[in-house]
Amino acid sequence: MIPNPLALIAEITHRCPLHCVYCSNPLELAAVSSELSTAEWIDVLQQAGKLGMLHAHFTGGEPLARPDLVELIAAARAAGLYTNLITSGIGLAEPRLKALVDAGLDHIQISFQDSREDSANWIAGAKAHAHKIELSRIVRRYKIAFTVNLVIHRQNIDHLDEMISFIEQLAPERMEIAHTQYYGWALQNRAALLPTRVQLERAVEIVAAAEKRLAGRIRVDSVVPDYYGRYPKACMGGWGRRLMLINPAGKVLPCHAAEIIPDLTFENVREQTLEFIWQQSPSFQRFRGEEWMPEPCRSCDRRAEDFGGCRCQALLLAGDAAATDPACSLAPAHYIVEAALAEANSSAAVSQPAPASSFVQLQRQARDLWSYRTNPE
Amino acid sequence: MPPPEDSSQPRLAAGCRWGAENRGTENKPGNEEERVILFPEGAIKLQGTGRQVLERCDGQRTFAQIIAELQAKFADADPVKIRSDISQFLEQLRHKRIVDY
Repeated sequence: MIPNPLALIAEITHRCPLHCVYCSNPLELAAVSSELSTAEWIDVLQQAGKLGMLHAHFTGGEPLARPDLVELIAAARAAGLYTNLITSGIGLAEPRLKALVDAGLDHIQISFQDSREDSANWIAGAKAHAHKIELSRIVRRYKIAFTVNLVIHRQNIDHLDEMISFIEQLAPERMEIAHTQYYGWALQNRAALLPTRVQLERAVEIVAAAEKRLAGRIRVDSVVPDYYGRYPKACMGGWGRRLMLINPAGKVLPCHAAEIIPDLTFENVREQTLEFIWQQSPSFQRFRGEEWMPEPCRSCDRRAEDFGGCRCQALLLAGDAAATDPACSLAPAHYIVEAALAEANSSAAVSQPAPASSFVQLQRQARDLWSYRTNPE
Repeated sequence: MPPPEDSSQPRLAAGCRWGAENRGTENKPGNEEERVILFPEGAIKLQGTGRQVLERCDGQRTFAQIIAELQAKFADADPVKIRSDISQFLEQLRHKRIVDY
């Protein structure tokens, strides 16, 4: 008997007003015309509740781009789920926030790109920073949990202490400091985003000091950069062990990037129930447990801790989704990660934010540095 | 952040709440008393003393009152130990931002 999944990640749309260069969405975004309807999402949320899931994470793209978000939050709450909105905040003013809270929103998570406005807007490819600050102040008037999420990388990591002080002023319960993970757009832009070892070591010290200083006031959760680790991350807590992700078009995936794995067919909620997909679909079975593992994972003491790392990273870097995650120092393909690190450390140069009057101009100026995330059709 | 004082009024932090009955628990016969607290990115299952403590963290009762109630309820246990256990428990939950006091 397979234990129940714990949480649903509802990627309700891939539309987004931001163009973050580190976005983890797939390069092939789900078209607007393929999106699930309100009724289809409500049915999925009810199924998630019946399956015994505890949390529903509404994300995207930008979930606020769906005009039915209030209805979906209410449906999730009615299904017994804890509701989390992961958002840029663009498109949210106080009346809609109040409606979301009244519908049962438990937790809001707002992403910031930097503490410095010019840099934040440059990384996001949109003028969003000032609005996020204003929205954060409004959020604190409501009795919901508030997390500030900050993605760090080569271009902003040097002033991490300044960014932490900035977040502190926004007074969240939690801050999440996440090193960029290299999927989708972030992988494409890796050369501009991967920090040097010196940058990383300094950042680790700063986060540890902040954790200590803020203890009891703000909880600091950090996502470590797996490229610099000895062992891989336990991606998604293991394939098909805890989470189900539903993309805007209704495809059910074990993680954000799984669609890139060839030879795997993913079921759609339009055709199958969540329970069937969780218990029986070939895609969720494929890397569940230890049967699929190659050496050195198969005989490794850590196999029940990190589950061989990330299947998508194995595919993206080593060309084989069933290989040991190349981030692991024991992996046969670890040399690929080492080569990327050698390149990142061969120069300490970072770029300067480019001021631009329009996104098109910004895109053109930054062409040699990185590509901005685009929008689905 | 110091441990709770006698006059502190412990309560669940913003965005932390009890799950509906029987959600996320493994309630079988003989284990009816398990309940779950939901918070951002997680959940904790509670039974026994842990559940007794958190059900009293209502923002009304003081820490001293909670201790006194539980010392009376578990009269066989060492009252000093009850106090220090509960104090530590609440301090830990505060660090996780599940409890405020």
